[in-house]
Amino acid sequence: MSDSYRFGNYQRALGHGDAEFSFNALNPKLEWDSHGHLIPYQPPRIDLTPREIFKLLSPYVSVRFMEQVKSVIPLGLYLALFQILILRQLVQDSWMIMSGLFAVIVGLMFFMEGLKLGLMPFGTIIGKRLPEKSPLPLVLVITLLLGIGVTFAEPAIGALKVAGQNVVVEKAAYLYALLNDWSEALVLVIGFSVGLAAVIGTLRFLYGWSLKPFIYGSLAPVLALTVYGASDPDLTTVLGLAWDAGAVTTGPVTVPLVLALGIGIATAAGKGDSGLSGFGIVTMASLFPVIGVLILAFYIASTVTPAEIIAAAHHASGAVQAVTPAWYERSPGMEIVLGVRAILPLVLFLFVVLRFILNDSLPNKGEILYGIGLTIIGMCVFNLGLTYGLSQLGGTVGSLVPAAFMSLSGVPISPIYVYSVGLILSLAFAWGLGFGATVAEPALNALGTTAENLTNGVFKKKTLIMAVSLGVGVGIATGLAKLIFDLPLVWLILVGYLLAFVLTIFSSEAFVNVAWDSAGVTTGPITVPLVLAMGLGFGNATHAVEGFGILSMASIGPILTVLMTGLWADYKAKAQARAALEAKVGSRFQEVQGIV
Amino acid sequence: MNTNMTYLTDVAMITCVVQSGDADVIVKAARDAGATGVLVHQSRGVGIRERLGILGIAVDASKDVISVLVSSEQTDIVASNIFKAGQFDAPGRGFLYITPLEKVATYIPETVKETLRNKDSVQEKS
Repeated sequence: MSDSYRFGNYQRALGHGDAEFSFNALNPKLEWDSHGHLIPYQPPRIDLTPREIFKLLSPYVSVRFMEQVKSVIPLGLYLALFQILILRQLVQDSWMIMSGLFAVIVGLMFFMEGLKLGLMPFGTIIGKRLPEKSPLPLVLVITLLLGIGVTFAEPAIGALKVAGQNVVVEKAAYLYALLNDWSEALVLVIGFSVGLAAVIGTLRFLYGWSLKPFIYGSLAPVLALTVYGASDPDLTTVLGLAWDAGAVTTGPVTVPLVLALGIGIATAAGKGDSGLSGFGIVTMASLFPVIGVLILAFYIASTVTPAEIIAAAHHASGAVQAVTPAWYERSPGMEIVLGVRAILPLVLFLFVVLRFILNDSLPNKGEILYGIGLTIIGMCVFNLGLTYGLSQLGGTVGSLVPAAFMSLSGVPISPIYVYSVGLILSLAFAWGLGFGATVAEPALNALGTTAENLTNGVFKKKTLIMAVSLGVGVGIATGLAKLIFDLPLVWLILVGYLLAFVLTIFSSEAFVNVAWDSAGVTTGPITVPLVLAMGLGFGNATHAVEGFGILSMASIGPILTVLMTGLWADYKAKAQARAALEAKVGSRFQEVQGIV
Repeated sequence: MNTNMTYLTDVAMITCVVQSGDADVIVKAARDAGATGVLVHQSRGVGIRERLGILGIAVDASKDVISVLVSSEQTDIVASNIFKAGQFDAPGRGFLYITPLEKVATYIPETVKETLRNKDSVQEKS
C-alpha cells in the first residue's frame, strides 16, 4: 500500500527555503517613569543600505516618470515623424529638442509630485477649516486671491510669455504690447478673472444654482466685447490671445486647488458634494479671462496708440542689443527666476491664510516643505524644457507645415505637394495632433468617470473621451484653417458659441455641466505650449498677422460635440424606453438596456 | 426550504497590505494561483513612512488591503505567488499575513455539493 501525503504538507516541509523568525525577537524595549506611567515609545529611524534605498525609490520614480513619458513622447514622436516622413525635413537641433522634452518630462514629474505633497494638503486644510472659522465674505475674498495665485503658478502661463517674443510689433501692436510691456498686468487680469470665476462657482454650488443662466450671462458680454473688438482693425489682433487665455488658465494647479476650497465651503454649509458641485468653475474660469483680457486691451488702446508702441519696441530692442542682459534675464537664469516667482507667492499666501487667519500650523511640515521644494524645482525645469523643447518643436513644425502646400523660402523643395493635397495633409495633421493629445489626457479620463456616474451610465466614459477628442481635433484643424485662409476669428467664435448657446438651451443640466467643463480639461501643460508655438510658427510662415486662436477653437470644438452627443444619447434613451413600453415584454429589462 | 447551513472548513485568509494602486497586481497573482475571489478595500497606513524620514515620501500613506480566502492547502502557493508579484522582498512594497479561519458559510451550488458528497463517500469507502 502506498503512502499518501497532503500536497500542502509536502510543500510546507520543503518550504521553498523559507525561514521563520519569532516576532517576539523584535519586541521594543518599553520604559516606565517613576510614577509607573508608560513613556511613549519612539521607534528608531530605519537605516537602509544604498541597495535598499534604490529598491525603495526605483518603483516610486519610474511610475511617475512613465506617467509623463506617456503624455509627452507620443506627441513628440508624432510631430517629428510628420516632419520627417510627410514634410521630408530633418528635425533641426534635434538634440536640444530631445533634452528639452526630457526636461519637460522630469519637470512635470517633480511638479506633479510636489503639487500632491506640498500644495494639495494646504488646499485641503484651508478648504476644510476656513469656512468653519471665517464669515462667508472673507472666504470669498480669499478664494479670489487664491484664483490669482494659482494662475501665476500654472505652468502653461509661461508659454504665453514665450509666445510674446515671436509677435511682430508692426503687424499687431496691441498684441505685442499685451504680451511684452503689459505681460504682468495680463497675467494679473487673467488671474483676477479666474478668481472671480472661483467665487461665483463657489456661490453657485453653495446655493445649488443651475449653470445655464451663468453660461448665458457670461456669453453675452464676452460675445459683445468680441464683436466690438473686431470692429477696430488694431484690436482685432488681440481677440485670438483673449480667447486662448481662457484655455490656458484651466490647468493642473488651478482646477484641483480651487475645487478643494469650493467643495470645502459647500461641505461646511451642509451642502455636501452633490456630484455636480465640482463643475462650472472650470467653465467660468475659461470664459471670464476673455472678458478680462479684452477689457485690458481696450484700456491699453485708450491710453497708447499703435505708433507709440512700435516706437517704444524699437527703442527697447536697440537698447537690448547694446548691453548683455543680467543673468536673470538670460535664458537659463530667467526660467529659474520665473519658476520661483510663479510658486512662492502662492505658497506664502496659503501659509499666511493658514497661520494668521486659521491660527493653524502645518501637519508634517517636512513633507510639505519637501513638496513645495519639488514644485519649484519642477516648475524651473519645466520652464527650461518649455523654451528648448516644446516651444522649439512646436515652432519648427508649425513653420514647416505650410511647406506642404505653399513655397517657403527656407524649404527648397516646397511646395512639396499639390496645393489641395498639401492642404488636406496639413489639416489632417492638425486634427491628428488635437485628437491624439486629447485621448491621452488623464484629466479627461477622470471627467469621463464622473460623467458616467452623473448620468447613470447614459454617457459612457468612452463616448465622452471620443466626443471630446473629436471636438478638439476638429477645433485645431479649424484653427489652422483660420490661419491659412485668414478667416476672421470673430465669426468662427460667434457662430460656434451661438450654436453652443442654442444646444445648451435644449440640453439637460448634467450634460451642460460636463460639456462646458470638457473644454477646460483638454488644455493641459503639454498641449497648450505645443499648440501655441505651432500656431505662432505657422502664422509666421504663412505671414498671418498673429498665430493665436487655435486653442480657442480647440475649446469650442468639444463643447459642441459633447452637447450634440448628449442630445443624441438622450434621444436614443428616450426612444428605447418608449419602444420598451410599447412592447411591454420584459419592459424593465429593456429599459435597463436602453439606459446602458 | 432547507435552512441547514453548509460550512466549509479548512479555510485560511491571506490579507495583503500594499500601496494604493498596487491592488490589481496582487489580485491577479492571487487568482492566477487559484484563489476564487478577493476583497479589496482602501485604507490608510501609519508606521514605515514616519520611520524612513525623507525617504518616507516614496511610500504612499494610503493603502489597498486585499483579503483572499483560500483553502488551507492552497495557502502557501497563493501566498508565495502574491509575495513574488507584489515584490514584497523590496522595502516599502507591502506585507501579507495568513490567518486560519474556523469555518466559512455561503451559498454552495447544488452541483458542487453533489461532487463534495461523492468525494466524501469515496473517501469513506477507502
